[in-house]
Formats: sequence, structure tokens, C-alpha cells
Amino acid sequence: MNEGERIKKLEEQTRRLFLKNCTLGLGGLAFSSMLGSCGYSGSGSENMAEMGGNPMAPKAPQYAGKVKQVIYIHMAGAPSQLELFDYKPELHKLDGKTCPQSFLEGKRFAFIRGVPTMLGPQAKFKQYGDSGAIISNYLPHLSTIADELTFLKAVHTDQFNHAPAQLLMQTGGARLGRPCMGSWVTYGLGTENANLPGFVVLTSGGNNPDAGKSVWGSGFLPSVYQGVQCRSDGTPVLFIDNPEHISRESRKASIEALSKVNKLSYDEFKDPEILTRISQYELAFKMQATVPDVMNIADEPEYIHEMYGSDPNKSIFANNVLLARKLVERGVRFVQLYDWGWDTHGTSEKGSVDIGLVNKCRETDKSVTALILDLKQRGLLDETLVVWGGEFGRTPMQEFREGKENIFKGRDHHSEAFTMWMAGGGLKKGFSYGETDEMGYAGINGRVSVHDIQATILHLLGFDHEQFTYKYQGRDFRLTDVHGRIIKEILA
Amino acid sequence: MKGLFSTKALLILLLLAFSCVVVWMLLPEDEIDYNTQVKPIINQNCIACHGGVKQSGGFSLLFEEEAKGNTKSDKPAIIPGHPEESEMIHRLVSHDPEERMPYEKPPLSQEDIDVLKKWIAQGAKWGTHWAYKSVEKVDVGDQFSDDNIFTKWKNNDIDYFIYKKLKEQELDVSPVAQTPDLTRRISLDLIGLPPPSSIFEKTVKNPSNDGLDVYIDELMASPHFGEKWAGMWMDLARYSDTKGYERDAPRTIWKYRDWLIKAFNEDKPYDVFLTEQIAGDMLPNPTDDQLIATAFHRNTMTNDEGGTNNEEFRVAAVIDRVNTTWEVTMGTTFACVQCHSHPYDPFKHDDYYRFMDFFNNSRDEDTFDDYPVLREFKPQDSTRLVELKNWLHKNADQEQADEVIKFVKTMQPSINSLTADNFINAELSDTKWLVLRNNSSNRFGQVGLDGKNTLIYKYQSYLPGGVWQVRLDDVNGPLLKEVKLPKTKGWDFAEFSFEKVEGAHDIYFTYRNPNLTNPRSNGLKFDWLYFADEFPGRNSNGYRKAKNDFWELMETRTFQTPIMVENPPEMKRETKVFDRGNWLSKGALVTAGVPEVMNDLPDGAPTNRLGLSKWLVSPQNPLTARTYVNRIWEQLFGFGIVETLEDFGTQGIPPTHQELLDHLAWKFMHDFDWSTKKLLKYIVSSAVYQQSSYSNPKQLQKDPQNKYHARGPRIRLSAEQIRDQSLAVSGLLSEKMYGPSVMPYQPDGIWNSPYSGLKWVKSEGEDQYRRALYTYWKRTGPYPSMTLFDMMPREVCTIRRISTNTPLQALVTLNDSSYVEAALHFAKRMITEGGSQPSEQIAYGYKLMMYKDIPQEKLQVLLGLYDGLTKEELIKNVAYKEESQIDKQLNAMGVVANTMMNLDEFIMKN
Repeated sequence: MNEGERIKKLEEQTRRLFLKNCTLGLGGLAFSSMLGSCGYSGSGSENMAEMGGNPMAPKAPQYAGKVKQVIYIHMAGAPSQLELFDYKPELHKLDGKTCPQSFLEGKRFAFIRGVPTMLGPQAKFKQYGDSGAIISNYLPHLSTIADELTFLKAVHTDQFNHAPAQLLMQTGGARLGRPCMGSWVTYGLGTENANLPGFVVLTSGGNNPDAGKSVWGSGFLPSVYQGVQCRSDGTPVLFIDNPEHISRESRKASIEALSKVNKLSYDEFKDPEILTRISQYELAFKMQATVPDVMNIADEPEYIHEMYGSDPNKSIFANNVLLARKLVERGVRFVQLYDWGWDTHGTSEKGSVDIGLVNKCRETDKSVTALILDLKQRGLLDETLVVWGGEFGRTPMQEFREGKENIFKGRDHHSEAFTMWMAGGGLKKGFSYGETDEMGYAGINGRVSVHDIQATILHLLGFDHEQFTYKYQGRDFRLTDVHGRIIKEILA
Repeated sequence: MKGLFSTKALLILLLLAFSCVVVWMLLPEDEIDYNTQVKPIINQNCIACHGGVKQSGGFSLLFEEEAKGNTKSDKPAIIPGHPEESEMIHRLVSHDPEERMPYEKPPLSQEDIDVLKKWIAQGAKWGTHWAYKSVEKVDVGDQFSDDNIFTKWKNNDIDYFIYKKLKEQELDVSPVAQTPDLTRRISLDLIGLPPPSSIFEKTVKNPSNDGLDVYIDELMASPHFGEKWAGMWMDLARYSDTKGYERDAPRTIWKYRDWLIKAFNEDKPYDVFLTEQIAGDMLPNPTDDQLIATAFHRNTMTNDEGGTNNEEFRVAAVIDRVNTTWEVTMGTTFACVQCHSHPYDPFKHDDYYRFMDFFNNSRDEDTFDDYPVLREFKPQDSTRLVELKNWLHKNADQEQADEVIKFVKTMQPSINSLTADNFINAELSDTKWLVLRNNSSNRFGQVGLDGKNTLIYKYQSYLPGGVWQVRLDDVNGPLLKEVKLPKTKGWDFAEFSFEKVEGAHDIYFTYRNPNLTNPRSNGLKFDWLYFADEFPGRNSNGYRKAKNDFWELMETRTFQTPIMVENPPEMKRETKVFDRGNWLSKGALVTAGVPEVMNDLPDGAPTNRLGLSKWLVSPQNPLTARTYVNRIWEQLFGFGIVETLEDFGTQGIPPTHQELLDHLAWKFMHDFDWSTKKLLKYIVSSAVYQQSSYSNPKQLQKDPQNKYHARGPRIRLSAEQIRDQSLAVSGLLSEKMYGPSVMPYQPDGIWNSPYSGLKWVKSEGEDQYRRALYTYWKRTGPYPSMTLFDMMPREVCTIRRISTNTPLQALVTLNDSSYVEAALHFAKRMITEGGSQPSEQIAYGYKLMMYKDIPQEKLQVLLGLYDGLTKEELIKNVAYKEESQIDKQLNAMGVVANTMMNLDEFIMKN
């Protein structure tokens, strides 16, 4: 038997097997789910076998997790912890004084050159709730739910430029090419709602994050796990609407035909990528119905809009927060929000810690607070993890650029210490972990790294970050690279 | 005591004995190879703390002299020949957690430790990573000459290397692909389009021709060939129709794209192709085309945002040129050397800045108008230019003539007004142009004035009554000239002559104007200044006309493309090492040079960009040819022989077929004389390329990614190919080549750049249907249906695209208006050309797409779709206005066509 005949024979065998086990009559679009039950491991593809046919089918984690879904609110540009959560009265006293040499020696900053002066906190701070959490007057709404939050006050990173720091925060590596957290999580858990993407990305603030689409890329994981960007104005997902002359019914018929013909091609080529394409087209078809529906916030009751500060006629962060709640409610596994415009160097009014930052807080405070309350009243907070933070912190020094003080009050990028918070299941509520020195320059206890945060998020979802790996180029890769420690201190 | 002592002694004896055994066991019979056995262990475990970034304990394993040199403890950690005395080994086996390396990490495996011991015992011989050794000729072995499968299968020498690896992997080859699949594959690969029917009819369908061979030649002779490969290079050149950064304003640089198309079409040898792009401006008497070629490195971003430091972004552009040159032409991620020695590869911190010095002397300075530019004249002005040239030829010496013509064509070398400093009541307007107010002054530092007696300047005077003084050395220094300025209508040009002075001087401007009552109001603005020699031939016939021509040519509006122009000696910049990559923290002065590990600059090559380009294309350069053949391979097979196209270093993925890579690189340089077409023909003629892409369980099990090529390449088409193919098959494709970028259909709300009035205005007529590479590219708002198919924004170079498969891509080809229109057009074609029966029409359409007959089963499915759609109940839901038969038919066939154009086999290369 020559090569051609051999292949042909194999093909026939596989096809017969398929026809025997499954019926080709595709009433309704159950094709991809059907793949799962059709013994497709016979195709020999590692990936497909591993995915049991449908790569997005819900899967159990390694152990019982505390939460099922994540809403990650990334404030791109890096908010100033010194104006929001990390109150430093000592820094106040040093306001305008020359920065001590010890802060500068051997250190490198993104923009600061020469010897800057210290910049006292621009906000006013008070303690809130039973927990006595310290929150600034920039966040009047959030301070009312202080007892729901878990603060990490001494987070550090090793990147001080936006793009690499965002990549590190989201993918565990500062360079391009690794899967982001949302991809890892959907890879590990699949998604609860097959008719929606498992991993949705919403952006606001007028720009994408500095690192671009790579912060929601799937890296070396199969591309089905990359984040799907939804838009809060225009069509929610580009090209989601059928052209005028193609009705939903004819689209359905056409997708069914497409799946059948593609299946015939699969029988010829045995290329597992064809199966992925079939499932992607079916998902696209389902998304055409579900996405516009879920993305439409106009039908939300007035009190909800009031609560969030959302407005269906605008394109604002608050809408994305409301959407995040709707999406997790419908079983979307991971919702990633990026809000751009937190980079407060003091080079402009918008980018200042005394004016611009106040405005950014005003734009976001109400909706983020509403999200926690809304999740709670719907009984979703215990099974959801909400994470809030930037990619690094900001310096206790006023930024000096080219030896000159910037025109507005501003702070440079700072990798040594910043604050993040989490809320939701499995956490000690109204709890604060970690502490920085009296200038807020560096953590003095409870320091946690970016990888520690990732390890903790995975743990809450039911994954041991050291065991949750993907083999690529002969090596087992994981989100936390070779680092990471679960921050047990904040777990309930 | 005694007992204890003897126990200790015994232990020592035992240890000694054990060591002897170990040493004996380690006696070299097979030599440890540094590159394949030692370097991977070091990279994996040691280099993060003992490498280019950190040298903990004063120990680094990056360079031989460092590894064998003294550490902080004043002795070397590696003592060649003596693993037992080497601190490095001691630290690996120590039981003290404070001592044992890798610090706070799991210990190395015994196997790895043994390799290191043996390596040191053998003398700790260093090795050069394969990619930094010159390409040597690789012989094709004859071990398969009796292997019938091989001899029947192989087409050329490539196949030998492939077969050898397949045998090692215990994989079998595949038979040649079916002709339709293969012809489609070859055409999509070579011209990015399905085969034009003229070529297809003449070659494939006509058996009297030498089939495939002629077919390949014909495709490569098609003008579409250049469009396909220009598309590839545009990613590398970070081609964009906008300048990038926040404002992302338009830039006119499409002539460079057209240059690329022509270069590929005429098969410009790759060494020339690179030389012209890197240093075309420095070639003797460069042609306009050679100048346009240098726009390669003018695709760097320019920052128009107010308040930004022009020098900072000039430096950023220079750094981008360094990084791009390394990544694109030499497959090396050089950017990390900017801040410290390369963490893994033998490039030193200073190497970066020595290399940067090559690029640090171009005239561009982050100006708003992207100076310098090549000015191309309208026909009547071109005639004038020829006349001026001819006159100069007769009446001026060569050097003077060249200088005048160079200025007319590039307005260089002029001083950009944004380099002014020492402002008093003056400033840079929007940080772009020098503006002076009443009683103001500024400086231009150290301007070389030898031989100059004329200042030509581009300026704008806002109101009459202004007095402008030019002084030397000090704001109150000797007066060079005083000029009374009229009010101008916008920008204007003027000149004055002055008494010659020698040497370089600080030039001070002062300006006063009694009509300016508000001290904050601008009176005078400058764009640039040009200190010139006297216009030649004052006493010659025709002087007046020549001078007039010169002025006319300077003032006339021209078509401008940013290009590279080198600084004249008197404007040369110094290059200093940036401490930790910080451009404001400058260290030692360096001069242009190439890294030690690489080949030397060729004999006689000047130490400037031109010399650099000679070095780059020298056959001794170990990376240039390897990187290019690897890239071509990637275009055809979906991934490179070195999968990491961007990194041939020790952190990249090792080549799957290193011998093949070297074979191709050698042949490319020496046999093919750097001809891309010859290289392509060689590869597409190989049996490995022409194999069927059908796979089987064994292949999928052993080699799911098809790295060893037991089957033919089956990869998704690129964003460009997907668009172009749908236009071509439907019959909509415009054959128009070249020219300004076009704006095909795009959904609203994609372009949202702040401070930019730029709007997406849908192109008219055939410009709607141009090939993808002509689509207007905006860095901050790239064309969405192409980015969804993995195109990158091109802010910096894209070395390779990672192919994805997502539902959003499905939505593009299902619903994007461009694709919907193509499908409807295709349906019309099927109906009018395909025959009377729907089954015939569908079969006809399939053949247009796939070049083969539709399998019955597929036809039945599609026919079923058609029938279902034309049934009464479905058609009711179809929003087609007229219920006439033809509309029903067209509508249904439109949906069928849309379905067909979304078939996996159509989106893929089979």
C-alpha cells in the first residue's frame, strides 16, 4: 500500500467511526458540543484530545475553588496609591523638601532626573467602617464599602514602564508572547455560557492600554483563549450584525452548511485546526444573538443606572462596569476592564495627582462601588473575585523631568510599592495586608509581588499555580513563571 | 577525641577516594560541547544572576574572560581542568543553603552537575553560539542514495535535509499534493493571490508546457509578485501612513511602499536591497529611487505632541533604527543591550552605542514635517531642474554643483529651528518652531561657517516693523547681519549674504518690533536656516536664470517623502553610552563599530552607515543570510527553521534543521547571488514544499505542529491574502498598482485619536477594491478587519505574526461589508457564468475558488442550503425588497457564496 492509499484508508476508517458514533443531521447547532462526545481523540491531536472536543466546555479546577469568575479592573497608567489608600502623614511634613539620597542611590526612574523634592499627599484621609480602612476623600463611594474590601498595601513589581509592567501584571512576563491571566483561567475552567465568549475585554478612557492587545492575548495557549474585546458604543463587537439581506434564519442555515462542509474537509485533511474553526463559527453565530443582548444596557432599570452612574447614550467606564456585572451573571468566566488615563506625572492638568486624578476617581468611584454592592445583592459576590489595581505605583517625590519640576503636581512611575485591593469570595473582608515605610517608598512588611497576586487569584479559582501548567517548547510554562506565593494571610 | 579524629580522617579519605573515582569516571572520552550541553544549563539556571544584567559575587558566565576571571573573592570560580577546585562546582553541590546555588531554588540535577564537572575537567572550553559563526557550505550526504522512497520523492537538495530529520523522528514523507491544491498554494505564496487565469490556462491546464516549472516562473514574473512580498517587508519596516504617538498625524511615505513592490518585482539582489534601504543616500550620486529606499528607516515614529522633547524622540527614533536593523536583518533582539550587556548573548553594553553611532548622524530631528525629505517636482519644475543641473555642470565645480542640487532636492543640510536654545522671551511654538517676540533672543550652538557667505531661511513674519539681527558668539557679539522684515503671507523664503568668517560659532538671533505691544505675542517664526556657500558662477552667462531657477525650485510646492540624509562633517553628532539606557545620563564617548563576536567591518568600508551596510551584506556576516532565508521559509511553511525569527541567540528556539538553514543561506549568497526569486523557486520546487498537507494520526501524534514536515504546509492565509483572495475570486479586485493609500469600507468609530482631524473617507470607484497592502494604515487605529487577522499596529517592527483562529475572524468574513459585497458579486458571477442549474453554478463557483471539482458530498450540502433558502418560509425573512425570481435566486446564491467564501479550505492554504 503506498502512502496515498494508506492515508485514504485511514480517512475512511475515521469517517466511518464518526458516522457510526454521530449523526450528521445537525438539527440545531449542537455540532461543537457533539464533537465532545464523538471520540475525537482519534484524530491524534493532543490539543483537541485534551480539550475533549470543545475547548470552552466548563471544566473542574484542580481543587474546589472559592470563586467561579473574575472581574479584573485594571487602571492603566497606574493610579497613585499615595492619594488613594496609602496615607503618609510623614510625607506631608516633608512636602517640598529635597528627596533623601537613600531613595535615589542605585535607583532608576522612568522620568525623574536629578534630585527631586518630596510631594506630600494631596488628598485627605479618614478611617472607614468597622475595619477602620484608610481611604482618601477622592473615593467617597468606595469608602462606604470599606468592610467589603481586602487591601494589599505593599505590592511591588520589577517593571517601571507601562507596557512591560502591564504585561507582567497580566501575563506573568514583561515581554510579549505569554498568555494573559484571562486566557489561563478560561483554558483551565472553560466557560459557563457557551453562547458568550468566555473571556471578555472592555476598554475605556479613550485608549487601549499601553501594551496594546497583547495584554489580552493567549500567547502560546490556543488562540480560542484570547480575550474578546467588546465595544460599549457602535456595534458591541465589530461585524456582529448580519448584513441587511441575510436574516438570522438564513445565517443559521449557512453556518450549519459551513460546519458540514468543513467537517468533510476535516475528513480529508485531518487538521485539528478545522475543528477549531468549526467551533469558532458556531460561537460567532451564537454570539450574534447573545452579545447584542447582553451588551445592551438600555433595558436596565433606572435605579441600576442611578447606582452605577451608567448612561446608555455615552461611552463611559461606568457602562463597562455594569456590563461586567451582566457578563459574569450570564456565566462569562473572566471580564477584564481597562481604563486608560491614570498616568499622573504632573505634565498636564489631566495628568496631575491633584486635579486629573480627582477626575478619574470621580469617573470611576461610583460604578466600582456599585459593582460590589450589586454583586452582593444578587448573591454573586461570594462566587466572584473583583480585583482592582494598576501596573505599578507612584513615587513619593514630585516628578522632575529634565531637572525641572513639572508644572502640575505629579508623581513618577514607582515599582517598589503600591496598593491593590480585592473583593469577593474566599477573602478576609475589611482587611488590610502589608505596610510601607513612612514615606510610602517601599514595603516594610507584607510585601507581595505581582506573581504572588497571580498565584492567589489562581488559588481562589481552585488552581495550584505551580501545578497549573502548559507544555510549550518542551517546557512546562505557568502564569507565575518560576515565582509566586499564595498570599495566605488574606484568605478567609 | 582520637576516635572522632580518626572518623574525620576516614571521612576525608573516603571523600578523596570518591573524588578520584569521580574524576576517573569523568575522564574524557567524549567531549562536552559548550553550545549544546553547557550553555543551556547556564542559561536556564545561572545567567539571571551571573550574566549581562547581574554579576552576583562578581561572577558572570556570559563572556569567557569574565567566567574565568577573578570574582569578588579574588579568585576565579572556574579553574579549567579542576572541577574539584572550582568554586562554581562547590557551590552547586554544597549543603549549606546560604552557599548552594542556584540560590533559594531547587538544586541542579546530578546529570547537569556532571556535565559541568566534565566540561571543566576537559578545560572549560568556550564555544561560539552557532548563529555567530560564518555560514559554511554544507555538503549533501549520499546515505539515502539507495533509499527508494527518498529517491522517488526528492526534487532537490532541500529534501535531503528534510528526509534526514524525518528518519531521525521516525516519520514518513507524504506524496505530492493534488495539482489543484498545489497550484493554489504556490500562487498564494508567490503572488498572494489565486493564480490569474491567464497564467493558469497557459501553464497548468496546458500539459505541453513544462507544467509547474513554467507556472512558477510566470507567477514570479507577474507584477503581483512584488505586491505580496512588499506586504511582508512592510511589517518589518513598520510601514504606516501616520506618524504615531498621541496625535498620530498623517505621513506621506507610500513611495517607499511602491519602491518595495518594484524592488521585489525586479528581483533586486537582497544585498543591494538592504544597502539601498540602510544607506542609499550615501551611495555615489544616489538616484531618487535609492533615496526613497532610505525611507525604510524614516518609518520610525515622530512625536508631534506639544511639550515633548524633540531630542528625546530623535534619540528614540535612532534607537528604533538600531533595534529594527538587528531584529529585521540579523534576527537578534538587541534592544536589551541598550541598558546593560545582553543577558544571554555575547553583546556588550558599549556594543549597542558603538552600533548606534552609525545611525546617530542623520539629519532628522523629530520635526513636524519629517525633515529631511526628498522633494519631487512637477513636470515643468523637473525641466527647470535639468536646466539648472546642466548649467551648473558647465559653470561650477562638481562639489558646488552637487551641493546646490542636493539642497534643492532635500533642503539639506539646514538647521532646524527647533534646535535653538538660550531663549529670552522666545520659545519653541508647540515645541516645533522657534518663535521670537519683541525684545527677544535665542541661540544656535556651534554652527560651522567656513566658506559660507549666505543665509537662506524659511520664516514667517506676523507683522511689519520687525528688526532681526544675527550676531556671533554672544547676544551682544559681532553683528553678522541686520534685516528689516516685512509681514509675510504664511511661510516665506529669503536670503542675505554676509562677510565670511572662519570656524564654528554660536549664532544669536535678536528680534524687536515696536508694533508688538503685547510681550507674549509672536512676531517672527522660523522653520529652518541654511548657511550656504556663495551661489556659483556669478560672472558666467545665464547666472541670473540659474539663480532664479534655484529660487523657483526652492519655493515651489513639491511631493515630499521622508528620507535619510547624513550630517555633513561640521554637523556631526557625538555618541555617548547611555548609562542604563537613560538618554540623559551620558557616559563614555564611543565611535562607530560592530560587536566583537561578529565579523569585522570589511576592508576599506568607511565607518559610517554605508560601511555598516557593506558589513551587513558581507558573506562573512553570520546572521544576514540566515535570517532572510529563515524568513522566506516561514512565509511558505508557516514557521521558520528557527521558529523565533526575532531571536537567533541562545534564548531563541534552536533550529529544527540547522544544516538546511546553512545550506539555504550559503546557496542564497553564493549560488543565487542574493536573488529572492531564485531562492523562492528553489524552495517551492522542493518535494517537501509540494507534499500533500493531509495528515494522519501518527504525524499528529509525533509532530502536531508539523515542524519536521512529514506533510505539506497547511496554514491560515494572512490578513492580506484573505482580503485579496476574496476580491480576486469575486471578480472585484482592482489591478491598479501604486499610489497613495486607500480607504476601503471600515465601520464607524475606529479612529479616535485625540487632537487629530483625520477622518476615514471611503475611497471612490476601484479604490474600494485595491489589494490589502494599499489600505491606509493608521498606527493608533489600524484597519480592524486586518488586525483581527493578526496584523500588528506597526508602531515598531513586527518580526512575525502569530496566527490565531477566533470567532471574531468568522464575523469579519461573514459580515464585514467588503466581504458581503464580494460574496454578492461572486454569486452574480456564479449565476451568469456557471450554467442554468444551481448545482452547476455552485460547482462553478467552487472551481473558481479551489481550482478543482467540488466533491459530491460538499455540493449536496451547499445545494441543500440553496434550496432551503429559496423555499417560501425562509425567503420571507430575507430582507430583499423585490420578490422577483432573480432576486430570490441572487439572494440565496449570495448567502451560498458568502458561506463558500468562509469555508476552512478557502481561508487556509491547503
